[in-house]
Amino acid sequence: MALVKLKEFCIPESPGQVSACAAKYGDNALILGGGSFIHGLEARGLLSEVEALIDIRKLGLAGMAATGEGVRIGAMTTFAELEKLPELASAAWLGALKDALTYPPMQIKNVATVGGCIAASCPFFDIPTAFLALDAKLTVSGAGAKREIGLAELFAGLFENSLEPGELITEVRLAKPAGRAASAFIKLEGTANDLAIVNAAVRISVDAAGVCQEVRIALGGGVGDSVVRSASAEKLLLGQKLSADLIQHAAEAVGQDISPMEDHRATAAYRLAMAKVITRRALNQALSRLN
Amino acid sequence: MKQLISLEVNGDTHEIAVEADATLLSVLRDNLGLIGAKRGCDSGGCGCCTVHVDGKAVYSCMMYALSAQGQEIVTIEGLGTEGKLDPVQDTFVKEGAVQCGYCTCGMIMTAKQLLHDDPHPDEHAIRHGIAGNLCRCTGYHKIVEAIKTAADN
Repeated sequence: MALVKLKEFCIPESPGQVSACAAKYGDNALILGGGSFIHGLEARGLLSEVEALIDIRKLGLAGMAATGEGVRIGAMTTFAELEKLPELASAAWLGALKDALTYPPMQIKNVATVGGCIAASCPFFDIPTAFLALDAKLTVSGAGAKREIGLAELFAGLFENSLEPGELITEVRLAKPAGRAASAFIKLEGTANDLAIVNAAVRISVDAAGVCQEVRIALGGGVGDSVVRSASAEKLLLGQKLSADLIQHAAEAVGQDISPMEDHRATAAYRLAMAKVITRRALNQALSRLN
Repeated sequence: MKQLISLEVNGDTHEIAVEADATLLSVLRDNLGLIGAKRGCDSGGCGCCTVHVDGKAVYSCMMYALSAQGQEIVTIEGLGTEGKLDPVQDTFVKEGAVQCGYCTCGMIMTAKQLLHDDPHPDEHAIRHGIAGNLCRCTGYHKIVEAIKTAADN
């Protein structure tokens, strides 16, 4: 992972040391989580100016906790650790996260971190799509200050995020939704160890009469510069009694909110067609978890 | 500019001068002469560089050597004892789960964690477990059978 301008590899043990390294190198310092996408960024020519890597594994940011209100996940929690969260096995509202964690191979799960996969702002990743459907909130820290932002506010374009130099994600919070809620995630992949062709995550709440009380539909895998929500599809479902026809209609509507890419994995037309299919399947999968 | 680091590999401590962007794979192979871990895709896609770091299978091509400090690294050379193969290695040999052999060391390191986490995996669990390792000879059948046999033994 050749970084031609790399001058320093920092392994800070305190937030102050992060700030010191960041202050020295500014935009040319890169925070290193699990490191499993460094190759991906390098191959896209995005690391040619990096002068310092800041490996944050000694900051104590790993760990997770579940309460009646939801789940808190430390940014350096690996996918393998997160998979052991007991609530994932039983809570229907966390289904999308459970689903998304089944896809990466063991070697990725053992190192890839929750914070790193978000900060990379890669539109092809799976976990961020699940987090967007689950309305994830982030705690961001830097230079002694701390702020809370929604996941969508972090993304600032293709492989771009809104973090300032020295800022890093410290925690991800998922609030348990009210009512009867369930979620699901589906990835369409070419091979078992490749980025998504397209992926979709949904979270839906339905009352006893079968009326949709809340819905969030998120798509990723090259359907835009970042993972996106489909307001058009959500609007069709909200407040309506759900039926197979309505779900099909809503799934078709995601086409209004995405801009599929064309690359070596798939054509834009294929991504568009499959985005609709997996949205419908994810909706049905989530609904099946309510019963 | 090189810097001096200390790595624990197969129970031994090594003081090595490395470039800041050196990967664990390059240090294992080029500095320590441990060539069991292979350089295949060199981008985290093929699994033939798999080693254990603190008991977990990782792509050594995707970990910086500096990040591996303070952790216990085990390569294929660290399995088994002098003159006696590890049971998973032994099963791969007896089952003939090797064609060209390039993926084998990575497959075995992955199989070691798979069997540690799930001592009795079914075929689906085995195939899912080795999804991060490619065999370009496509010799998966015997590899899966060897892992099954290793679990049975």
